[in-house]
Amino acid sequence: MAGSRDVKRRIKSVENTRQITRTMELVATSKLKRATDRVHAARPYADALAEIVSGLYSPGLSEQYPILRRPAEVKRAAVLLLTANRGLCGGFNSNLIKQARNLMEHLRGQGVETELHIAGKKAVAYFRFRGEEMMTKRVDIGDLPSVDDAESLVAPIRDRFERGEIDAVYLVSSKFVSAMSTPPHTRDLLPIQGDAKAAAADSFIVSPNGDMILERLLPAYVRNAVYTALVENAAAEQGARRSAMKSATDNAGDVLEHLTRTYNRARQAQITQEIAEIVGGSAALE
Amino acid sequence: MASLNVRVVSPERIVFQGEASAVVAPAWDGQVGILPGHAPLLALVGVGELSVDRPGGGSASFQVAGGVLKVERDTVTVLTEYAGDEPPAEIPASAIVDPEDVEG
Repeated sequence: MAGSRDVKRRIKSVENTRQITRTMELVATSKLKRATDRVHAARPYADALAEIVSGLYSPGLSEQYPILRRPAEVKRAAVLLLTANRGLCGGFNSNLIKQARNLMEHLRGQGVETELHIAGKKAVAYFRFRGEEMMTKRVDIGDLPSVDDAESLVAPIRDRFERGEIDAVYLVSSKFVSAMSTPPHTRDLLPIQGDAKAAAADSFIVSPNGDMILERLLPAYVRNAVYTALVENAAAEQGARRSAMKSATDNAGDVLEHLTRTYNRARQAQITQEIAEIVGGSAALE
Repeated sequence: MASLNVRVVSPERIVFQGEASAVVAPAWDGQVGILPGHAPLLALVGVGELSVDRPGGGSASFQVAGGVLKVERDTVTVLTEYAGDEPPAEIPASAIVDPEDVEG
């Protein structure tokens, strides 16, 4: 019967698909493990750095360091968007792109000029298609982003901020809450949001002096915020991919069950029909 | 005997964490030795070898470059831009301090 052969072919094809999605799920799971380890490994540095910076920070410093300047009015803002280089991870990339677009619309609505800096092939492709201008297009940052990646990504933007060409920098990336929950998230990267704690530096022997330490730590602080975001984003991507591939595998299972049932029914109907024909034939002979 | 609680952290990982009887670290202007009971200190880190003497004898050492070193209540935290067994291929800009720039 023609129908049952078609069903059989589809069963084969869905089985192949399920095989592939299951493999991708397993790959994502093992990459997720490594990526999560990196997220946890990056935290002690970030925490310790934030503590030292806030110990040295005082609101009066903003005149001294261009990186701490607080523009009274934001005329031009940069949006740094981090996405994945690869797809097949559910809504991961499109959620991030949507978040960035909403942010840009919101800023433009307030009369702020915007500029886009992008890391990740998916967002680059999207904004190129939309004819949107991009100042940074990075597609070379892989699954295991390094500190050098973060530095080379953020350095030009930081320089532009220090020169006063832009007044604010927003970072759009995924927050890695857990492997299941990776919501897109917007952070204020610059100006640095210093919490003016009581300067603990007074009781310290500071060598050579607080200014010179801050001068070096502030850029590192900004870079590290980007590094943390890159690492979290990489982990979030794998988490999103694992969930997407898991549901694709489960879904393929459901489809297979349905198709197998259809096939068996068709086969049974065929056999029944053949028997009926034989019985009918022999009855006609008597 | 009092001992130091030492943590050496690079942006990517914790390089070393543990007890120590003494630490010799490369500050921007030369080696600093730190023993238990050291006054609170915050110093820039230069390029060189960081060595940690373990309380039971023996020591561990790393090459570090750049960053900052903090000593407070017998806790030594070294935040460094680079840490590894080999000297860095490239010296981070933050590890270089021109003595001319230092006032006083």
